[in-house]
Amino acid sequence: MKIKLNNKYIRVKEGETILDICNSKGIKIPTLCYHKSLFPEARCRVCLVEMNGKLVTACSTFPFEGAEILTKSERVIKARKRNIELMMPKNISCDIHDDFEICDIFKEVGLNEERFESLKHYKADLGASVVRDNNKCINCGRCVQVCAKIQKVYAIDFVSRGFEEHVAPYNENHLADVACIRCGQCIVNCPVGAIAERPHINEVVSALKNPKKHVVVQTAPAIRAALGELFRIEPGTPVTGKMVTALRKCGFDKVFDVNLGADITIMEESAELLKRVKTGGVLPLITTCCPGWILMMEHFHHNLIPNMSTCKSPHEMLGSLIKNYYAKKNKLDSKNIVVVSIMPCTAKKFESTRKELKSAVDYVLTTRELGRLIKMKGIDFNNLEDEDFDPALGISTGAGAVFGASGGVMEAALRTAYEFGTGKTLTNVEFKQIRGMKGVKEGKIDINGVEVKFAVAHGGANILKLLEKKEDYHFIEMMACPGGCIGGGGQPIYRDPDVLRKRMEAIYQIDKNMPLRKSHENPIVKKLYKEYLGTPLGKKSEKLLHTTYIKRSRF
Amino acid sequence: MQIELKTSLKALEKAKKLGPKGVLKRLDKMGVVGRGGASFPTGRKWKIALETSSDEKFVICNADEGEPGTFKDKLIIKKNAETMIEGILIAAYTIGAKRCFIYLRGEYDHLRIELETKIKEIIKKSGLAVTIEIIRGAGAYICGEETSIIQSIMGNRGHAMYKPPYPPVEGLWGKPTIVNNVETLTGVSQSILFDDWDSSLRLFSLSGNVENPGVYEFPLGVKMSKILDVVRSKNKIKAVSFGCFGGFMKIKKNMEITHENICKEGCQHGAFSMIFIDETHNIVDVSYTIAKFYTYESCGKCTPCREGTIRLLERIKQVKEGKATKKDLELLKEFAEHVQETSLCGLGQSAGNYILTGLKHFKSDYLEYLK
Repeated sequence: MKIKLNNKYIRVKEGETILDICNSKGIKIPTLCYHKSLFPEARCRVCLVEMNGKLVTACSTFPFEGAEILTKSERVIKARKRNIELMMPKNISCDIHDDFEICDIFKEVGLNEERFESLKHYKADLGASVVRDNNKCINCGRCVQVCAKIQKVYAIDFVSRGFEEHVAPYNENHLADVACIRCGQCIVNCPVGAIAERPHINEVVSALKNPKKHVVVQTAPAIRAALGELFRIEPGTPVTGKMVTALRKCGFDKVFDVNLGADITIMEESAELLKRVKTGGVLPLITTCCPGWILMMEHFHHNLIPNMSTCKSPHEMLGSLIKNYYAKKNKLDSKNIVVVSIMPCTAKKFESTRKELKSAVDYVLTTRELGRLIKMKGIDFNNLEDEDFDPALGISTGAGAVFGASGGVMEAALRTAYEFGTGKTLTNVEFKQIRGMKGVKEGKIDINGVEVKFAVAHGGANILKLLEKKEDYHFIEMMACPGGCIGGGGQPIYRDPDVLRKRMEAIYQIDKNMPLRKSHENPIVKKLYKEYLGTPLGKKSEKLLHTTYIKRSRF
Repeated sequence: MQIELKTSLKALEKAKKLGPKGVLKRLDKMGVVGRGGASFPTGRKWKIALETSSDEKFVICNADEGEPGTFKDKLIIKKNAETMIEGILIAAYTIGAKRCFIYLRGEYDHLRIELETKIKEIIKKSGLAVTIEIIRGAGAYICGEETSIIQSIMGNRGHAMYKPPYPPVEGLWGKPTIVNNVETLTGVSQSILFDDWDSSLRLFSLSGNVENPGVYEFPLGVKMSKILDVVRSKNKIKAVSFGCFGGFMKIKKNMEITHENICKEGCQHGAFSMIFIDETHNIVDVSYTIAKFYTYESCGKCTPCREGTIRLLERIKQVKEGKATKKDLELLKEFAEHVQETSLCGLGQSAGNYILTGLKHFKSDYLEYLK
């Protein structure tokens, strides 16, 4: 098919939108409500172009044979500008909101004339671990779509109509009071920052200032693969060493690694799996590292509680050990220890408030919050030297590292379960069949004559798909966010889904470069069990490392 | 009136004899076009649905006439629902649909029980294995738009969707669906049965500052003076507003009411709802009411309509209160054009007509109010 694009004849394939064509030809068209992983709804009307004298939206329009398309005519530019003016009558300061797409739009389209007064007067919903401010919202609908279509949670939707249309949870409740899994996917899909994590920076900063407090920080596996993006480092570049240095400069007394917590989780979980397989316990065993998935289970599938592993998530395990084992060993009062977890996740903020976990972790900061903290402290991140984690609880294996990507928990567990179950050494530790961005992944492994079948799902919609055939498997890993923790709701905001692939590669790169790649080979893990915990699933482990779940209502 | 002629299931019989392709030919020959405003040839719409292969197809009768000043469908449902239902059955037969819907305006709920009885009776008599469900609208103006009706029937928010894909290709639950209004479907039955059926006869809903409001039947091309003679008014009529969306037109007594002539004035006739305005009223006051209507009825989906209509209201109010300057009129015009040009659906695309035509034909009314 031939069309005329900006006065040049070009050949295009049928079934491509104008936006696809322009992207492939290097012509930039500003978009707001459009997102590569969502269905175009053509709400915002910012991607307008002129086709044969008519203004049409590039994201949703397929050109016809011989169509004449102009992407930069004066009429187009003016129309785009007016729509921006209508949705944002007051200019926002882009220095503060640099992460968000709206800033690019302001740069591309130009700033407003401010001819109108702002008319929105909503009360912000600040209760839950995800907070919303409808006054900033431009009704692009991406949060609604991601919640319904990618996550299948349906926690928010549009209510009311006309100018009063706005996004709200069921019955205009607070987000904290509805069946929201706090995954934060709405946050990473919001182009204007109308949805955000409940900030805990101030609390952490004041704890750091308090000389009586011993402030310990632990960082999740997925942080190091994405933190660099906030400082304009190429996505997929691991920044472990710089991150540790930055945290020390921020004033944390000890910098520990959640990867170690992950190694401990593996010890417990693989023991649990082998026990259930051997003794005919409830199968499939389902992982519980993801607090978003746990909430989803508690709200919508609480018949699965017996299937859930009783293991706490890795940072809660480590938090528990810090407040008990570490405190005792270093003669510290656990009341004076403040544990801060840096997580790629907003659901972890909720998790840290669960009563069952006895506040082992005091505050959770997201990757974005950590970025903000580093900037706030005036640290020149890009030019930092690399440093290592504090060795007391800072040595980990590749198995702990892969927790950050979908399929990682499974892979790490299998590395240990195989060797525990068979007594043999696993030579090929890489389970390629459960890596990558495919929605539902599966495989099997022979452990002492028992064929153990396992499956992995990430993203709410894929979780539901896998749940339909859960009986086929022995062991299932669930992660609420697309891509696993690397795509978590606390991670830097990304526009191109390809970024997730790059972060995933970084995770596997870290694993590959590790001298130790199996959790049970970790010297600290060995020491911990020898000195303190005893055996996996032992009395002390049960007390410190395991938890319970409750039923929650759908409404 | 022609619209009251009953076909008593004979049209369906004839349609069965003609076969689906014969029906399409017949509709084209008789010049049946959609009466909702777009005047799209009904035969062509049905042909697309017929030719799209699918395991399931649907027919929707749009009885959600929400345009202010329109009340003709109510009359048809009251007086000739049988023929309309037959039209639905013919449509179902032609494209091969098994499930049909009547999307009934919420305000017409008092007609529902009787309509349900008639549907049962007629389907039984017709011998077709077809169901017709009545879906009650909840009062949203946007749900008179075909894609919004489809969303509403599926249980979603009444939001317009962009086209293409058009409903005859992808409609209800992604399957071919035809949406026709009450008047069109009644005309379908009549045009199939009666060889002398006149396609130019239209229903006009006349109201406003007149002594004899009501539904009248006129042929296209009727002189304005004739209409004025029928409705009569105490004061001199200066303008006619085609519903809310069509814009204001200056009264020219010799004007023939045709699609082309109305378009020439920058107006849209829609379903011929004509609200007459006499010289005791200022167009700005009327515009203020219309602006409020649009602000309330915008579905809220796309930016220009959601945010634009309220800005138009804001400025019209300013004019009305005597706080506006000439510069504000320019802004009003700029944004009226902008909302029309960039909105997603027909509602937004017509939400500036009343301002543009008002400024064009009745500028003096605006100037009167300026600071």
